[in-house]
Amino acid sequence: MGTGNDMENDPKLSELLKEWRIPGAPPSLDTRVLGAPRKWWSFLLTGSIRLPVPVVVAIAAVLLVMAFALARQRTPPPPASSVNLADFQPVLDPNIHIIRGNHDAQ
Amino acid sequence: MTDPEFREAYGQHKDMLYRFAWRMTGSAATAEDLVQDCFVILLRNKAILNRDRGTLRSLLIGITRNVARKHLRSERSHDELDELNIASATSRPIDTDDRERSETIARVVAALPPLQREVLILAEYEELSLEEIARAVGAELAAVKSRARENLRRVLAPLLEMKGAAHGNRE
Repeated sequence: MGTGNDMENDPKLSELLKEWRIPGAPPSLDTRVLGAPRKWWSFLLTGSIRLPVPVVVAIAAVLLVMAFALARQRTPPPPASSVNLADFQPVLDPNIHIIRGNHDAQ
Repeated sequence: MTDPEFREAYGQHKDMLYRFAWRMTGSAATAEDLVQDCFVILLRNKAILNRDRGTLRSLLIGITRNVARKHLRSERSHDELDELNIASATSRPIDTDDRERSETIARVVAALPPLQREVLILAEYEELSLEEIARAVGAELAAVKSRARENLRRVLAPLLEMKGAAHGNRE
């Protein structure tokens, strides 16, 4: 026979028997065992994927770091220590008195 | 067994199981039913995978073989299959055309008792080792060897003789 037995030394016999050929399983069996093949869009609605735990942990860590960096960027800057001149009004009629010093009269 | 594992197992072994079931029962439709039954059993009894029963292939062959034998028992009594069946099966000229020759071989193999037929199919067509066959059919290695020898004596030698005779006649 095919492997490791008393008929192994009879290739003519094997050759003769192999003339009885049978095809592989038909597609209808796939449908019966696995169900009808899913449409591509049905995967978007009901599909699922499996991920290894280390990959999930790595993705979570990256997302955490990105969220932290983004949060830091959006924090308002501390108030500046400068004077606000928005309400500053210039003096319209300045009355200037010149006071001369005593040493000018001399 | 997860769903992807099940699908992988099915994809890997469906053809082999289908051919085995077809040759055991002689019917494509029955073979389809039996292979479906085999995988349904596997789905419902995932725990059987944990048993120490060798490879998944052996396990699946074992399941298919059991459902095939159950089917054959319900179909007919194999006590009627004796040397006469083989003689009648091989009484037709074997060296005609391919199809007829294939049918003749199918009839000769089908005339074997199930225990010997499964050994012949698994060893000759699916090229399993006798050790793996013994595991799959749950028999002792010595018993499998004995069935293989019996196959040679009862079926294969007459087949070869007929083929030789046909060649002789043609020449």
